[in-house]
Amino acid sequence: MAYIEWTEDYATGINVIDGQHKRIIHYINQLGDAQNLNESDLIDEVLLNLIDYTLSHFAFEESLMEDVDYDASAIHIKTHDAFREKIDTYKKRHEAGEDIANELYKLLNIWLVNHIKDDDGSYVPVVKTNIPEINGPEKQSWIKSKIQAFFK
Amino acid sequence: MQHIEWTDDLNTEIEVIDSQHHRIVDYINKLAEISDSNERDQVDKILGELVDYTLSHFAFEESLMEDANYSFINGHKRVHQLFVKRVGDFQQRFKMGENITLELLAMLKSWLINHIRSDDNDYVKTVKANMGEINMTQGDGWLTRSVKKFFG
Repeated sequence: MAYIEWTEDYATGINVIDGQHKRIIHYINQLGDAQNLNESDLIDEVLLNLIDYTLSHFAFEESLMEDVDYDASAIHIKTHDAFREKIDTYKKRHEAGEDIANELYKLLNIWLVNHIKDDDGSYVPVVKTNIPEINGPEKQSWIKSKIQAFFK
Repeated sequence: MQHIEWTDDLNTEIEVIDSQHHRIVDYINKLAEISDSNERDQVDKILGELVDYTLSHFAFEESLMEDANYSFINGHKRVHQLFVKRVGDFQQRFKMGENITLELLAMLKSWLINHIRSDDNDYVKTVKANMGEINMTQGDGWLTRSVKKFFG
């Protein structure tokens, strides 16, 4: 599967969230690399990073939606829960010695990327209205420096 | 088990936070050193110290974010809580006699590095600006007082 390239389609305009999404996409691409190299230690490491960071990101996002009283947050959280369950099953299969990297990679490519594009897009206006200061010029330059740091 | 090497992208440029992060990394590296030896007493001791210190650090960091009115404090707190719970689960498993050191170390390394690089980086501008203001109005003494309050 090809590399996922970050495009404007993915941008929510909330810098901290975009930064987290970028990191997740970076890990999905790393997982693809690790598989191509067929190094099981590296695959393990990237899988752990990816799962760990995604779960952490969900917690962050859910708290943000609660803060701004986003009225569809219950549905969004349910979607996260379903994904958490899936991840949990994959983790168990992985621990039992099964090779799940390819399957998980495909799932992430489709599910996570669609989720960022579609579902996340719908809470963004509410967050922006309620937390207007998040898009100040200072933050813009900060995200630029971060992109340079991670994706040069 | 490999040590965490401190790299420049782990610096937040807030000195007091950086030194706390260094200390946490030291604890993790100490744990890595003894991970092969199977000395349960030592693991128990260092794990306890690591948890204590990390909790103080989180409380300190959250109070800095609160003082600075950082927009995403609740999301950040949620990520901290999730981590505390996960480490608590490891401690429980350890107490039940399981050998969790390697699995725990992998999680600690990946979590801490991700968290510092992404989540912590996001509050730096806001917190730093606020710390500058407090310094100007109250002098450096407030920082010493704050550190004492959380770390005794």
